[in-house]
Amino acid sequence: MGPLVVNGIISENTNLFLAFIIGIGFGFVLENSGFSSSRKLAGIFYGYDAVVLKVFFTAAITAMLGLLFFSLFGWVDLDLIYVNPTYLTSAIVGGIIMGAGFIIGGYCPGTSFCGASIGKIDGIVFVVGLFLGVFIFGIGYDLWDGMYMARFLGSPKISASLGLTDGFFALLLILVALAMFWVAELAEKKFPREEY
Amino acid sequence: MKPHTLLALFTIPLGLIIAAVPSNKTNPYKLSASELLGEANARTQYITPDVVADMIVNKDPSLQLIDVRSQDEYEKFSLPGAINIPLADLLSDKYSDIINQDVKMNVFYSNGTLTANEAWMITRQLGYTNNYVLEGGLNYWFDAILNPEKPASTSSDEEFARYDFRMSAGQALGGGTIIQTTQDQSSKSALPVIKATPRKKKASGGC
Repeated sequence: MGPLVVNGIISENTNLFLAFIIGIGFGFVLENSGFSSSRKLAGIFYGYDAVVLKVFFTAAITAMLGLLFFSLFGWVDLDLIYVNPTYLTSAIVGGIIMGAGFIIGGYCPGTSFCGASIGKIDGIVFVVGLFLGVFIFGIGYDLWDGMYMARFLGSPKISASLGLTDGFFALLLILVALAMFWVAELAEKKFPREEY
Repeated sequence: MKPHTLLALFTIPLGLIIAAVPSNKTNPYKLSASELLGEANARTQYITPDVVADMIVNKDPSLQLIDVRSQDEYEKFSLPGAINIPLADLLSDKYSDIINQDVKMNVFYSNGTLTANEAWMITRQLGYTNNYVLEGGLNYWFDAILNPEKPASTSSDEEFARYDFRMSAGQALGGGTIIQTTQDQSSKSALPVIKATPRKKKASGGC
């Protein structure tokens, strides 16, 4: 049955409309769990607030379990799901830039729009910076073209490279996530910070 | 109850279930376009006439020849033991047990290789295995097996061995004279009757 667009069950336009609805829901949840505060997001780096870790890992394992069970019931064909291809060098360099931006600005791209939409000045500044970055990347593309496309790995899965089944890897990831939540809560107790 | 405990109570049992069950292999599409192109380029689907002739002569039970030409052409001439599944009927329910199985080696053949390749490509895209194509089709079969050309005296031993094999196989399969009426009838009487057992629909859920 799924993916709905690939199998022609819904049109590309319906897909965009559903993405719009889901996007509104996503923004609502981000705002509702305090993600429009840059202090909350930077908190994961300083250890006083682990809500970023908890929300995103919970989202990841929920989506992972959902996809695996949907595949088990024959509702979705995992082979047809688009997986972002891995260019190792860009992944590492981009990860460092994004991580640094996360700590300095206190936002990731999605949450900066959350902050900007409720009028937070740092959020608006972050969005402007984001577009500046996109612009600089586009203008100077020829300079980092080689690095950008370097070390292409296709769409590897960690489970496949470890020789594990998807299901067993999912179980491991759930256990790791729960352990991380526990460690993060210890950190929150150790580095408390009130009033933000 | 703390949210953590609640989350753990939900996710750990689900994780245990998903780790314990085998993954779903019943996806409708098995190959991406590029994988299919790769297989077609590697020519993995082809079986040479020599291999097929050897299997026919030895009455290898794992061989299942499938004539994908029209019924008329099939009745005029067919390879020994071949069954007729015209390409147009390939996906009909009564043949799905034959083309989707993992016991026998199905070899599609047509006059050339075009129709047989079409049949192979469709079944391959459906994820069925054990389907192959007779290299060169019937046209090449006549040249290679039924009327083999005597190699030049300077040829290697291997070529002579192949020639000898083709000569004996051709004789065993009624070669020399291509279509004798008697031969035709005997091959027809040897045709196995296809029992059409409607395939049970899998409870696949969803659509």
